[in-house]
Amino acid sequence: MSLFSALSVGASGMAAQRARAELLVENMANAETTRTPEGGPYRRKDVVFESGSVESPFSSIFNNQLDAPTGVAVSDVITDTSEPERRYMPGHPDADKDGYVAFPKMNPAEDMVDLMGTARTYEANVAAIGAVKDMIQRSIDLLH
Amino acid sequence: MDRLSGQLEHYLDLLSTRQKLVASNIANADTPGYHTQDIDFQSEFQSAVTGTPNILEVAGLPMKNDGNNVSLDRESRLLAENALRFNVASSLLHTKISSLRAAIKEGQGS
Amino acid sequence: MPPAISPISAPTLPSAIRPAGETPARSGFQDIFSSAVGQVESMNRQASASVESFLSGEGEDLHTVALATQQADLAFEMFQQVRNKVVSAYQEIMKMQM
Repeated sequence: MSLFSALSVGASGMAAQRARAELLVENMANAETTRTPEGGPYRRKDVVFESGSVESPFSSIFNNQLDAPTGVAVSDVITDTSEPERRYMPGHPDADKDGYVAFPKMNPAEDMVDLMGTARTYEANVAAIGAVKDMIQRSIDLLH
Repeated sequence: MDRLSGQLEHYLDLLSTRQKLVASNIANADTPGYHTQDIDFQSEFQSAVTGTPNILEVAGLPMKNDGNNVSLDRESRLLAENALRFNVASSLLHTKISSLRAAIKEGQGS
Repeated sequence: MPPAISPISAPTLPSAIRPAGETPARSGFQDIFSSAVGQVESMNRQASASVESFLSGEGEDLHTVALATQQADLAFEMFQQVRNKVVSAYQEIMKMQM
């Protein structure tokens, strides 16, 4: 197992957190979206993370699977299927026959906290890649 | 290679393995069900047996609702410590190698 | 005028490739060299294998490669120095015996 594989692990962490951040931001941006191309109000989305082997660009395909490093990947994007929030707004262009408008079911406080957590984990992954890179550089120095 | 160099190399091997696990832990800080992994550094080092060390799950870490027990504080601390120790050991080896080379070259003239 | 002295044959340095069973007078140097060359070759093989493993992405640690390479280098440099020393000592001895 080489330290180079840890670089791929860190990169997978960054990618996963970025995907999560993008969805959180999309959620927050669409907090009031009552009309979507699919019909109905915006539905909140969330990522599902799953740990798994990551491929290093330079690693051999014959690598022992037991040695493969464990990274993370987005295995799924879950769309909220719960009932949207209904608000009584008879004059609204998207109001139904009873005068109710369907609004996205949101939890902005939670999303905000999640976003901060995502940023923190993203930074930790960046730090991991930096530290590993340093160690590889030290190994190179041994050759001099 | 003399005994100390062998030990230093073993130390580097173990630090390398440990850092890989730290990277995995950090990447999976939010993965549901993921448990923090590590090696028993001192016992692996004392045993002086080379080869792949045993990977263990770390006990005593608080578990979150989704079954994940990664503590970013712990992993960040270990990240820094591993890198520094690697720095020390590789510097020591580097000095050793340079000295040895200088000693050999010095014998050239006489 | 002194009697013709047959020229001393140029001293041949014992080579490691020489098969076993040479005259005992030569075996001292030969053993030293054979063993030293063997060690250097073995370290070179180890270093090469390490480098190959690293290059083909089999997960060899870079510090392992660096240390194996340095070890082989040092062994070779040491061997060179020892060889030079032995050769010059040998030549000194041959000079003295004339």
